[in-house]
Amino acid sequence: MLKIEKLSVSYGSVRALIEVDLEVRGDGALHGVIGPNGAGKSTLLDAVCGRRRPTAGTVRYRDEDITRRTVAWRRRQGMARSFQRTSVFQDLTVYEQLHLVAQHLGDERLDDVIEVMDLADYLDQKAGRIAYGVQRRVDVALALIGRPHLLLMDEPGAGLSAAETLRLFEHLRDLVRERKIAAVVVEHDVDAVFACCGTVTVLDLGRHLATGTPQEIRADHRVVAAYLGTAA
Amino acid sequence: MIALLIANSLALASLLIMLASGLALIYGLRDVINFGHGAIYMLGAYLGYTVALVGGFWLALVVVPILLAFLGIAFEYLALRPLQSRSHIEVALVTLGLGIILGQIIIFFYGGVARSVDAPEVLSGSVTVMNLSYPVYRIFLIVMGLGSCALLALWLRFTSSGLYVRAVSQDPSVARMMGINADRLSLLVTSLSAAFAGIAGVLAGPYLSIDPGMDVTMIVNCLIIVVIGGTGSIGGAIVAALLFGLVQVAGSVFLPNIAALVPYILLMAVLLIAPRGIGRGRVLN
Amino acid sequence: MNDRTTTAESPRAAAIGAFGGQSSRMPLTIVAVAIVFVVGAVAPTRFAGDFVLRLANEGLLLGMLALSVAFLMSQAGLVALGAASVYGGAGLLFAIAMSQWDLTPMSAVCASFLIIVVYATVLGALIVRTNPLAFMMLTLAAGEMISHGVMLEGLRDYTGGADGLVVNFKGSILGMEAADFANPARFWLVAWVAAWLAGLALWTVGRSRLGAILRAVRENEERMRFSGFDTYLPRLIAYVLVNVVAAVSGLLHVLNAGFVSPESLGLSVSTNALVAALMGGIAGSVGPILGGLIFSFAQDEFGARGLTQLLTGIAIVLFIVVFPRGVVGGLWSVVQLQARALSGRRETS
Repeated sequence: MLKIEKLSVSYGSVRALIEVDLEVRGDGALHGVIGPNGAGKSTLLDAVCGRRRPTAGTVRYRDEDITRRTVAWRRRQGMARSFQRTSVFQDLTVYEQLHLVAQHLGDERLDDVIEVMDLADYLDQKAGRIAYGVQRRVDVALALIGRPHLLLMDEPGAGLSAAETLRLFEHLRDLVRERKIAAVVVEHDVDAVFACCGTVTVLDLGRHLATGTPQEIRADHRVVAAYLGTAA
Repeated sequence: MIALLIANSLALASLLIMLASGLALIYGLRDVINFGHGAIYMLGAYLGYTVALVGGFWLALVVVPILLAFLGIAFEYLALRPLQSRSHIEVALVTLGLGIILGQIIIFFYGGVARSVDAPEVLSGSVTVMNLSYPVYRIFLIVMGLGSCALLALWLRFTSSGLYVRAVSQDPSVARMMGINADRLSLLVTSLSAAFAGIAGVLAGPYLSIDPGMDVTMIVNCLIIVVIGGTGSIGGAIVAALLFGLVQVAGSVFLPNIAALVPYILLMAVLLIAPRGIGRGRVLN
Repeated sequence: MNDRTTTAESPRAAAIGAFGGQSSRMPLTIVAVAIVFVVGAVAPTRFAGDFVLRLANEGLLLGMLALSVAFLMSQAGLVALGAASVYGGAGLLFAIAMSQWDLTPMSAVCASFLIIVVYATVLGALIVRTNPLAFMMLTLAAGEMISHGVMLEGLRDYTGGADGLVVNFKGSILGMEAADFANPARFWLVAWVAAWLAGLALWTVGRSRLGAILRAVRENEERMRFSGFDTYLPRLIAYVLVNVVAAVSGLLHVLNAGFVSPESLGLSVSTNALVAALMGGIAGSVGPILGGLIFSFAQDEFGARGLTQLLTGIAIVLFIVVFPRGVVGGLWSVVQLQARALSGRRETS
């Protein structure tokens, strides 16, 4: 589904991502991406979804080289992204914004998205007026519209309690499994990632460190060292 | 010939740098474009005229910036702070309105007539350098321009407030978490911006004309420069001011028929080729 | 339990401007509007003298220009400070077409129109991509560019320079001749209908999908892109549309005045339109046109004392800081509050 080859992103002299290779299959499991601060996780998502132009490397989506494609094009092709800093439409009601996007993407079936994200009680309220946790769910819901093939979630648990994050991850895991879609989830909350993701990739200082099942990663001493190293 | 061209460009650019960097600083810090900047410049010029009549050019050069700094403080407290919660567009519109009001007040007091100011004795006349005769006053302008550039660069590079301004200009969200007293800094920047506009106004007297339309002309010039330089990039604004000065002067020499349009052509060309402007500040979009 | 029928209406509800109404009140509203239209078309010509009519005509045209500014502001969040260059420019082009190119009035109108649309498209293509603040700066610059361009020595023969151009009107447009356009009462009818058409057209666009997209882009441009929308084209279309309205008002102006001066391309006309829009209230179509009328009469009152520009500046500050919803917006919220209070009382009684 998604194949990243030798992806590098630099901001001026700062090398945020250095020759990262990654492959994500559409096998219905969550693919978590973790790493200490400054590892380049968000940059990875930015480069994949088109928000940042990579300085080198390619992004292949469903066997097509999409490195040069626009953000809007990627979305229309089924690559959806949610944001770390909640990005919704404050003045529109929840239903209005979901409907607006659904209409554009040609898929007006909102019931399952509303159900999965548990938004039924908030449809008539303006997004600016609801609780932050609910806004987060709207943010994710916007990415779920139109049956995307690849989900890119940037710290979906940001600003949520540990329990809320876990619940969100469980929702996502079930959704992804049901629809057999691919999902890359960047997250700080390592527990939620280990609990719900089938594969985990670890980045450190812009480089790919390790990829494997949660058990493998937990046991990998390099990963432990990377986390401890930055904590010291 | 080329030397003359460059010298004249530098002289014009000196004024523009003083004005455009003030505008860019406020934008970089507060995301606000002060559309009344041209009116402040005009006030500086007319006040400079009056003070010069009474106490001479040098007195004007000292007094006017101080007066305008106070105006900047008033502007900060009465306009920018209360409207902090409003959208950037609304604040920009308010500065536009205030600029119009200020311009009209100036016209009311001075009549809608152009004035001229004589350069002081020391700076009048020409000097001969390498077989070229060049007005002393313009050399003075260039020195002032370079001086203010240098001061600005020193401030940005070596003081903590300068560092903060640079940081905020690059990425406001991160920098604001740094916890430096943003209000005090904003006050400093606003009053400095007004003061420099005042200096530019006084300096402009003997060089350009002082007329009722100068606020609009200058704000448009500054806006073009800020856009070309990349809104929020102070370095970009300086480069853009130099470019603007060169293009304006060259235009008046080589294309006198459309000289007035040349800056706009430059603007359109830049928008076409490099829509984000020259500098590496916060991009247009 | 949520009632899907009501929520299905809410996207439409979001697009409503000053003319919001619920299904039960629709026929009543339409009748009221129709009455206003007819009365407004006929009554002034009967009861008002030529002088008042002239002011009112100017007010309507300024109102149309204000409408173009207001629509772009309320729907796209963009402030166009160069409206005068299209308003005066359309008139100037018409005058040039009539005197220099020797076209018939109808083809002169079409030619001017076409040129303006091309100009708006090209300029829009360059500047609509930027953020709203940069857009504001660039429209100001573009307006000044046209202002200066018209005054160039080399083009003086063409544009009349500082003296302006007299329109050499031979023939008729849609059955109306020069004298008809100059006649205050007859022109009022034309302007009134034109203003209504423009208002209706833009209001319809506002309620359409384009309007919803524009408002969403205004709110969160990035998220719109990430939701698969092209955020550039809708804004470009909106920009061209409002300039079409501005061009129409400019053409009507020159037909009425018989003369075009460089002032009509100047910054003060642009700021007048802005003030009129702010005064009336930028949401909806009624506000800006009303604002234009108010401005025209106020300018007559204060203009003699040279206060217009000063009051313009004060008005801008006032209507942003103190009265952001303008006259119509403010009145409308009062009406809505009353209506809500009344219906609340009815339910409890």
